[in-house]
Amino acid sequence: MKERALGWLALAARLVVGGLFVVAGALKLGDPGAFATEIANYHFVPQLAPWLAVTLPATEIVVGAALVVAPAAWRRAASLAAMGLLVMFTVAIVHVVRAGINVDCGCFGGNSGPVTAWTAARDLVLLALAALAFRGTKEYAK
Amino acid sequence: MLSTVIRALVLVLAGAALGFAGNAARPHGLRIAAFAPPTECTGAEAGAPTPAVMSPAEASTLCGQPTVVIADTRNANAFAEGHVAGAVHLPCDAGGQTAVDALAHFSHAQTIVVYGQSTDDARPVADSLQRRHPDVKVAILDGGFPAWSQAGLACASGPCDECKSTSTKVAHP
Repeated sequence: MKERALGWLALAARLVVGGLFVVAGALKLGDPGAFATEIANYHFVPQLAPWLAVTLPATEIVVGAALVVAPAAWRRAASLAAMGLLVMFTVAIVHVVRAGINVDCGCFGGNSGPVTAWTAARDLVLLALAALAFRGTKEYAK
Repeated sequence: MLSTVIRALVLVLAGAALGFAGNAARPHGLRIAAFAPPTECTGAEAGAPTPAVMSPAEASTLCGQPTVVIADTRNANAFAEGHVAGAVHLPCDAGGQTAVDALAHFSHAQTIVVYGQSTDDARPVADSLQRRHPDVKVAILDGGFPAWSQAGLACASGPCDECKSTSTKVAHP
């Protein structure tokens, strides 16, 4: 019974995280130049900004889509990849909040609003959901 | 667990490869090697002085003074259509050498008046300039260029050298 409930929760978690990843990636695809500028504005790894701007949206879409539709073993791997990405996002956001830099989030393309402590809190919730999806997805389930 | 980690890496690498391929296939894809990070697009850091807001009438009394620099943060097209006489073009997303060239104008400045399309439009650049030049008085033109125009104060229009030098900017219009 407990395992079944965990399975349903994991299903809901991966649909939420996967859906958000696909939407966030798709919204960033339109203008990689603007996204690169937003990444550089974080003053975190500005030299990597154009590389991340080109690769991150497609990576989010691939990971998000795998979370939703891939076979179980790949869903579990996608949960792990999503956790890694969310840890990276959260570290960058905490850096911005601690430095007091007023910068647009860029999380969902242009005009995503400023980075605040709430942005970090949202990412931590998503991180918890990704961890739940990882925990509740069996590696060899069908 | 190892296979899960390997699969996760495969997903990330596949996404990255798709990103590179998609960018290469786009006619106006991002030129990674040519990208220059913006120097003037972030707002104030905690503790930095806050630029004051200055009315158009007050700003007009500063025009022509050698220690006063006026900076226009709007895009190249808006700047070319009309700007405050003598203003330096410094769009928010000016990057690399463009921003360095524009910032050279501020080496002798004691007062910098920044304007955009509105008061808030100019604030990120004004905050950044204030942080870079804490001993300089940085002010934001209240109401931006529309307020200046409505007040009937002097402005210039037409093609300009600054517009050419900033037309290669990489991001937001």
